[in-house]
Amino acid sequence: MLITNTVLLDQYDTEGLFDEMFEGDGAVRSHYQIMRERLDTISKEELDQKIRNLETLFLKQGITFTVYGDQQGTERVFPFDPIPRIIPADEWQIIEDGLVQRITALNLFLYDIYHEQKILKDRIIPEDVILSAAHYRPEFKDVDVPRDIYIHICGTDLIRDRDGSYLVLEDNGRCPSGVSYVLENRMAMKRVFPHLFTSAGVRSVDSYAADLLGTLQYIAPHAKPDPVCVLLTPGHYNSAYFEHSFLARQMGIEIVEGKDLIVVGAHVYMRTTRGLQQVDVIYRRLDDDFLDPKVFRPDSMLGVPGLVSAVRAGNVALANAIGTGVADDKVTYAYVEKMIKYYLDQDPILKQVPTYLAWDEKDRGYILDHLPELVVKAANESGGYGMLIGPRASKEEIETFRGLITANPRNYIAQPVVYFSRHPTLTDGTVEGRHIDLRPFVLSGERTHILPGGLTRVALKKGSIVVNSSQGGGSKDTWVLHPS
Amino acid sequence: MLSRVADNLYWMARFMERAENLARLLQASNELLLDGETTGSRSLNDYWDPVLVATAMEEEFARIYPQGTVADVGYFMTLHEDNPYAITMCLRQARENARTVRDQISDEMWTELNDLYLFITSAKALTEFQNAPQTVYDRIIAGSLLFHGITDATLARTEGWQFIQLGKHLERADKTSRFLDIRVHSAQTGNALDSFQWTSILRSASAIGTYRAEVGGDPTAEGVIDLLMFSTDFPRSVRYCVRKIGTHLHAISGTPTGSYSNSAERIAGRLLAQLNFGSSAEVIERGLQEYTDDLQQVLNTLGQHIFETYVLLPQDQLSVTFIPSADTEKRRWIELQQQQQQQ
Repeated sequence: MLITNTVLLDQYDTEGLFDEMFEGDGAVRSHYQIMRERLDTISKEELDQKIRNLETLFLKQGITFTVYGDQQGTERVFPFDPIPRIIPADEWQIIEDGLVQRITALNLFLYDIYHEQKILKDRIIPEDVILSAAHYRPEFKDVDVPRDIYIHICGTDLIRDRDGSYLVLEDNGRCPSGVSYVLENRMAMKRVFPHLFTSAGVRSVDSYAADLLGTLQYIAPHAKPDPVCVLLTPGHYNSAYFEHSFLARQMGIEIVEGKDLIVVGAHVYMRTTRGLQQVDVIYRRLDDDFLDPKVFRPDSMLGVPGLVSAVRAGNVALANAIGTGVADDKVTYAYVEKMIKYYLDQDPILKQVPTYLAWDEKDRGYILDHLPELVVKAANESGGYGMLIGPRASKEEIETFRGLITANPRNYIAQPVVYFSRHPTLTDGTVEGRHIDLRPFVLSGERTHILPGGLTRVALKKGSIVVNSSQGGGSKDTWVLHPS
Repeated sequence: MLSRVADNLYWMARFMERAENLARLLQASNELLLDGETTGSRSLNDYWDPVLVATAMEEEFARIYPQGTVADVGYFMTLHEDNPYAITMCLRQARENARTVRDQISDEMWTELNDLYLFITSAKALTEFQNAPQTVYDRIIAGSLLFHGITDATLARTEGWQFIQLGKHLERADKTSRFLDIRVHSAQTGNALDSFQWTSILRSASAIGTYRAEVGGDPTAEGVIDLLMFSTDFPRSVRYCVRKIGTHLHAISGTPTGSYSNSAERIAGRLLAQLNFGSSAEVIERGLQEYTDDLQQVLNTLGQHIFETYVLLPQDQLSVTFIPSADTEKRRWIELQQQQQQQ
């Protein structure tokens, strides 16, 4: 990657969009001042060398992911941009408060939905929306979970609107991934810009593994002290396998596949060289559908026959619980602000992107009339798949989606296109603005712990607003500053 | 530790050892070729056929290379991706096993194994192989030895380490015995190999120096068999390896040596007794070929019993949990299921 400008940011153009580093008039925001000064003094050769070292480091360590459907199917290094995204303490405080509020409401919602369903009876949310949700698990109604917590690990995606306000784009309450990149990016940055850390006052991310382990231990059945926790992975062909292995190692717990576990007498055991060892808590990175061939997909080769019976018997705890998908359904998303009001009697601290629901007749009419201006999403897809970006789409793609929406309106939502904030990013010899989002990781155990910062994902293609790794995204280190 | 993990570590070690030993064999065969006085193609085949026969790949080779030459055999056994016993494929298997239990091995072990694999699959290795194959074999052998050294220096002596040593020594015992009998296949006159061939066998096992120091003179059948089959202190001898197998099995089960707590320990113990009190005269009288065949059978059975003792459990439903590696379609389906999208 060649850098040709000696003073990297001289030619930078915000193009009228909200920029993380620069104000509208081109002045550097105060919390980026120190970064600007460092970048102005760095030579092209020095930066080239640092980037080469980083790439080699990532490749050697195997910090990779695989893109499904890619012809080579090979492991790739997750592209990393060395210019960090910086968030001042006061901004972060708002985000943190907003996220705590949100996850509290979501957990209360899930408890309610799987018990009395008061929010439906009070008609705050139409019953049909919830009961028809693809990931609502009626088999789990009236089944208790330890400590009444459903989502233990949540990745909530945030973007910044043109005026700089943070908006929630979506919650990921089933198998959110990406935290390993946060931790590895931080280690890499310490090598690239060692001196900046002390002078800038960046909050550490080192406690994540300990907090995560604490969360898992907190939900052990019968509050068992010193519970046996394991991480259940689909296997090493999964794109996030590196993360599964990484987190298991950091926490000092076993990483298991379905075939390593066996259920006997409604208890879960690991097959070890010394015989069977009981398991109390499972951090499962496996979708509900594959968990137990006796209850969900019978053809699943990844699950544990009888696991659900052990969960119902209260002998094993799952993080996240079964059935959380109803809360991160993109249609349910439209009602989260109402949940906050209903369960907490508060106004939402973090706003959402205005959302039209295709199952509602009026909204549907609007959507179908304005497809070229909207972003259309399928209710339960992830990875940037199943999406239409109106202004970028061809006539055929638009017509395809028209058909899909008409055939299955419950499954689609639409939002106005938000050209969310951009950040200076190294690209082919220069520094240009690229759209970024933010995924903080929220742990709900005895307390709610939020990792300072989170994963900042960058849409590396010029003008693109799709940041997912599977669609050509990259990442940056995220610095949350200590209060000055 | 998890049974599956023990199995993965065991096989990681076995495939690594397999790759190293094949490199040794091919390197020694190359040198023998250069030393040999006959250049007619029939005699050239005599050097290479046994290698193919030993890995049961003569048919596959004939299918891919109907007019196969000596150079083709070398390539076939070193780099060809259709040969499951080629060095490349052994290293790939070693790496795959390591990758699935990455958290159980040290970072340095992973890096070395990964580097070795990246080398063998690189264009550079192909070019080097075409120009000077010995350098490629040197690199593989050195890489394997380095891997063992790193393991020795960085891995705590846990159960995982024991399984690695177990796999390594089992494979080594088997391969040393094959070094011995491979040339016998080619000899038109039964056991009467010439000293060139015995030297080549010693060279495969890095045993020339030891032979000269402890035995001396031109290598003979008795001398080589005594060293490679019955030596108590040469690390590649079959007896030494089998003794190590016993040590590691007992360390895993916690049983004192001299008794046994499972079938694997019993078989290993009995084999060790046979080797402790055997001799080259006995082997020659029996016939080297027959003796090593029997030995390889026992080692095979031993491997099976290790699997049954530590990996397979009585409650297992084989069809769901343990998929034989030959069942490619089932494996492909599992692969697809694993590739579910994370959020």
